[in-house]
Amino acid sequence: MESLCYPQFDSRHSQVHIALFRNVSNAAAVKARIIAASTAEGEFGEKEREAVNFAFVEARMITSKLHLETAIYQAILAESQNGLRTRTVHSEILYNLNPTHNITEAIRRYGVSEGTADVLVVRIDSPDLSSSTVEQKMKEAVKGDIVPLSELSQVTDWATIKKYHKLNNELAIKEAANNPSREHAVVDNIVVTSVAMKSVMG
Amino acid sequence: MCWLLGLSRSGVNVPGVRMVDASEGLLGIEWIEGSSVKRLLPSGAEDSEEGVDGVSAEDQNPLDAFQLSVDALMGLIGVEIAKMHLADIVHGDLTTSNMMLRRPSSPDSTPELVLIDFGLSYHSTLVEDKAVDLYVLERAFASTHPDSEPMFASVLEAYGKKMGKEWTALRRRLDDVRLRGRKRSMVG
Repeated sequence: MESLCYPQFDSRHSQVHIALFRNVSNAAAVKARIIAASTAEGEFGEKEREAVNFAFVEARMITSKLHLETAIYQAILAESQNGLRTRTVHSEILYNLNPTHNITEAIRRYGVSEGTADVLVVRIDSPDLSSSTVEQKMKEAVKGDIVPLSELSQVTDWATIKKYHKLNNELAIKEAANNPSREHAVVDNIVVTSVAMKSVMG
Repeated sequence: MCWLLGLSRSGVNVPGVRMVDASEGLLGIEWIEGSSVKRLLPSGAEDSEEGVDGVSAEDQNPLDAFQLSVDALMGLIGVEIAKMHLADIVHGDLTTSNMMLRRPSSPDSTPELVLIDFGLSYHSTLVEDKAVDLYVLERAFASTHPDSEPMFASVLEAYGKKMGKEWTALRRRLDDVRLRGRKRSMVG
């Protein structure tokens, strides 16, 4: 797990924790739990919401750590200005990753689903919440192996990312077509810029 | 700012965007490791900022650090402007300080010319607007770098090659613009 800090934001959401889980065996259960927790009532509801108080991101759809960080940054920015377009700062990350403004689609494409094997788990919170506590909570929610974020490059599904961002007919992609590492760099650059600029795109 | 995404999708080298805070009017873009083209060409460097990254001595050619000839650099500039114009974007303020040369990220890659500062840019399909864009750069070359004629000629050569069939009309219009200046004739 990696932790980073954005001291320019209010401490209630200045600390970010990111972990990459591979070989995840309970993706369907995680998804069901998130849905149930959102409507659960009373003390049990509070407990369940805290247990899944993360962004669970389909790792296949992420091109780089910078890609995820950009979505995280814009989500914290929106929350700090009371401008969230979804219910929580964590769901806002999924919304920011999707090129359209359709929230259901964003959750379907970038959230966990039954077949998810690799998940990026993100927690945005105050620095008062220790990294070890966060990691413990992540492990309680997700059954899988925590691996270094650098393994993300083995997981990325470039073809689907190009499809969702409608990049296949773009000149930049065609020019790099015969050089995979160049093409990946070009796609990464475009999707990172898309995420950063989403709030001002029509 | 809104042109940056479209330009990068069209394969034009422009800075990647890192954050946008619309309510504060903030735009965060990537750090480009390298130098402005202005500082890489003769007389471009002002005394206060002589040398690139403090490594070059008085009379050392700063381009040596990029293993690039002046002519090759002019070629990169021409190609990048052509790619932008083929995407029907007019820069509006082309100067050698609004271009950067990015240091290669690995030993087997080459330096990359990056166009920056799209604050005056707009969408246009007009030959006139693209010709004025080139003319503005020509004037910038002439006022910033001594003996710039051969340099700008190399820029145009690479530009024309990349533009293809659009170039004939553009070259003719550039000649017109040179005669009358940047502004179209006004009444009176």
